[in-house]
Amino acid sequence: MSLPDNQADPAFLRQLRLMAMVEASTLVALLFVAVPLKHLADWPLGVRAIGPIHGLAFLGYIWMLFQGAGAGLFRQRRAWPLVVSAFIPFAGFMTAHRLSHQIGAASPLESNGR
Amino acid sequence: MTANLYPWIKALHVTCAMLFVSGLICASLLLHFARTSPDGAVARALAFRRWDSRVTMPAMIGVWAFGIAMAQSVGWFTNGWLQVKLGIVLLLSAVHGMQSGRLRRASATIEPIPGMNWLPTILVSVTAIVVLAVVKP
Repeated sequence: MSLPDNQADPAFLRQLRLMAMVEASTLVALLFVAVPLKHLADWPLGVRAIGPIHGLAFLGYIWMLFQGAGAGLFRQRRAWPLVVSAFIPFAGFMTAHRLSHQIGAASPLESNGR
Repeated sequence: MTANLYPWIKALHVTCAMLFVSGLICASLLLHFARTSPDGAVARALAFRRWDSRVTMPAMIGVWAFGIAMAQSVGWFTNGWLQVKLGIVLLLSAVHGMQSGRLRRASATIEPIPGMNWLPTILVSVTAIVVLAVVKP
């Protein structure tokens, strides 16, 4: 999975990591909790509640990716694998994990635990 | 309760949509003129970034929040016209993200900012959204 360039702004990468985590968490909650409850337990309230929350989280994540590409923080072609990861359950957690490494590389103080 | 609120949610949705689209059009014009006449472009981009973050961005969130609330209350999510409309609004949101990033660059450098002019895409998308929302084919 391609990630943003090393020269990317660490503050931006931290925000992107947070959005990736929120997006991935809401997708997992929607697909593996709310949808089974709707179809197996006839309880549609979960989908009605988590669906819109995931929609907004997805929007925020995609918006941030395009903002980063527009600001030149990373190349546009590198944004597309990150867009695709938003559709795959658990892939967002991998993106967030890799962004943590990227943040560490961009801000050495943080990677040293200081 | 939901039926009573519907006209208010719709009014807020339309208000946010107008503010969002006007912000998108202004940003694309500003970025276009920053390329063609760079004098004072940094100051203009800096001033417009404030508008973008205080008005256009909250309007975009409002468009989605009120739109989702409205569609959920009426049960439109399975309708084809709404699914196409959602795709187009997602495209416009991505364009806003892209333009917001370019404004960030334009407010920090006097160098011309490369990138395509999104104005035709915005105008075609807005026309399609209005047709889908009004005609509901």
